[in-house]
Amino acid sequence: MNHIFRTRTAASALALLAAVTSAQAQDKPESLDLGVFTFLSGPAAAYGMPGRQGAEIMIEKINADGGISGVPVTATYVDEAQGAEGVISEYRRMADGEADFMIAALSSGNCLALAPIADQLKMPTIGWNCDSHQLFKEPHDYYYRPNGNTIAEFMAYTLYFLEQNPDISRVAIINPDYSFGHDAAEIVKATLAAMKPDVEIVAELFPKLGSATYQTEISRLAATRPDVIFSNLWGGDLENFVRQAAPRGIFRQSQAVLALGETVLQRSDLPEGVVVGVLGDGWWRSPDAQSIGAASDFAAAYAAKFDEDPVFPAIKMANSLLVMKAGYEKAIADNDGAWPTEEQLIAALEGMTAQTLTGEMTFREDNDGVVDQVVGMTTIVEGIDYPVLGNMVRYDGATLLPPAGTDPIEWIGTLTPAFLSDLPKPGSYE
Amino acid sequence: MVFIPLIVDALANAALIFFVAVGLTLVFSVLRILNVAHGSFYSIGAYLAASAGLWIVSAGAPGWLTFPTLLLSAIFVAVLFGPVVERTLIRWTYGKSEAVQVLVTFALFLILEDLQRMVFGVQSVYQDTPMTMLGVVEIGGIVYLNYQLLLIALAVFMLIALKLFISYSRTGKLLSAVVADREVSQAMGIDTSRMFVIAFSVGVFLAALGGALATPTSGVSPGLGADTMVLAFAVAAIGGLGQVEGAAIAAIIVAFAKVLAIYFAPSLDAVAPYLVMLAVLVVRPYGLFGTETARRI
Repeated sequence: MNHIFRTRTAASALALLAAVTSAQAQDKPESLDLGVFTFLSGPAAAYGMPGRQGAEIMIEKINADGGISGVPVTATYVDEAQGAEGVISEYRRMADGEADFMIAALSSGNCLALAPIADQLKMPTIGWNCDSHQLFKEPHDYYYRPNGNTIAEFMAYTLYFLEQNPDISRVAIINPDYSFGHDAAEIVKATLAAMKPDVEIVAELFPKLGSATYQTEISRLAATRPDVIFSNLWGGDLENFVRQAAPRGIFRQSQAVLALGETVLQRSDLPEGVVVGVLGDGWWRSPDAQSIGAASDFAAAYAAKFDEDPVFPAIKMANSLLVMKAGYEKAIADNDGAWPTEEQLIAALEGMTAQTLTGEMTFREDNDGVVDQVVGMTTIVEGIDYPVLGNMVRYDGATLLPPAGTDPIEWIGTLTPAFLSDLPKPGSYE
Repeated sequence: MVFIPLIVDALANAALIFFVAVGLTLVFSVLRILNVAHGSFYSIGAYLAASAGLWIVSAGAPGWLTFPTLLLSAIFVAVLFGPVVERTLIRWTYGKSEAVQVLVTFALFLILEDLQRMVFGVQSVYQDTPMTMLGVVEIGGIVYLNYQLLLIALAVFMLIALKLFISYSRTGKLLSAVVADREVSQAMGIDTSRMFVIAFSVGVFLAALGGALATPTSGVSPGLGADTMVLAFAVAAIGGLGQVEGAAIAAIIVAFAKVLAIYFAPSLDAVAPYLVMLAVLVVRPYGLFGTETARRI
């Protein structure tokens, strides 16, 4: 009897041990499966594909370095060109078992739609590119954006061209006809009103997103004789606009400011002296990126695989993956080395600071990232066969962000020209 | 001062719209089919011309060769698709309801869109050699591309050529007879099947030529066919379905509406053509040049 009891006890103990071991093994997944949302087709793919390519390179790098705590990363790529309805349904489908973490999305419209769903499904998600400052009007527990927002970005360009062209009086705007374009126009106008109220907006054009031709808009811009033409056209639209506007002398007639201009430097003939930006600090040749040291390796791997240098969407994507990796590593450390639950991961991301390829990112209390803003002008340098950023400035990200919870446009209205005079000057970032 | 640029912009816009709209209206007038796939022929012409032009440039051949490529691409598309599509899908819809005809041509549009993605990929294509080769000119204080002026001249040439073809060539007269009365034409011994193939192929050619001619000043990417198709429908409806001169005048009206919106009310840019269409169709439901016809019951 005693023998039988001992045997049963030993068997139970073994079974319990096996169950515990098995549970631990299940806790640490065989792979960390990502859903990566970007534009893979249409005019927006000119911006979206570098994002995907950046993800491929960074995932290869993470896996080559042993994955995240030994867990390799895999990605399934989803085309955002299918429209918001398709994107939402794909997100839901993947969240229901196929994906552990989402890098979603490029389009602000899709981010606005997905953020509440991330909360609802408790799916940790990083918005790798969406910029709309509308995103965190409502709080989101499971949605994080490591890239800053439209307020800091478009204030940065306006402040830069005001410093660069202090005598301007006429500004024209040509932006895509959706929230990103209209928001940017509103921010530029609000900043001008605060810093230099005598500036006149002589034209505001909003061509359809994905327009094939801009010839009439170019005529209109030429006719209004602006001192500065501001645009946040992007992807194929921007390339199209530049290719059509350059032969018609637009870039000689006015100071052009192309907020997302770095993406087309390798693909079009932009002259020297055009103000271009990277939405944040995502330029792999910047002094900070060079001193951190990893960006050049990333760029070399990117060029080897895709036969071109990375543009800033690729860097934004890579930086987002590094932020995700840092979040997991922090959560694992906080969890005594065990693989974290979604809740533990979210707790780790809260207020986290992470180093990226190009600088440092900190999540504010509203999950919005604080990143610096790099702006420059197209400059020809020896050894590079396309224009790069010169005469640069690096604005501190926190300086250009309104406090969380305040109305950003009202906040801009409270600023005075002294704000501009206190900022670093173009050319100060070398 | 702004008057002259406005006219140049409107005419340059109208020229591009004209090619695709007149092709649509020609097919409708002869075949009595509203071909939704017409926009696909426009974008296939554009993709082919752009791809061929890029190949010519990358092969190191002289840049002027990209000009004949624009025409040859349109001819190739017309020869490849015109007879085949008319003799299979389109012919099958004759005598069927308008709903069936629209559904069949819409299905063809979707198939062709996917085919384009498979053949030409999903990235935007740019081929601007003809535009840059021709240089620029200043009109009314604004720098224009000489290529834009060439487009206006080509549209005028095409309008005249079409009118001469329809009025004086044997085939054109036969087409007119078929348009006037299909059954009597058949009774008189006209081979209407052949006329349908010719008319459809000419329609495909005009759409493809519009796309090819647009490439030097426009990017080519997925979705171009749908955008063009909607605009061509608006122009054809304003002019009166089946009216060549109507398509020309309507193209100018729509282009002026669009340009005026961009100049003076940019927020109305996208809807301007459709506001014009609404205004015209409220007053003349059969279009500016269309005629009211009694429905047979």
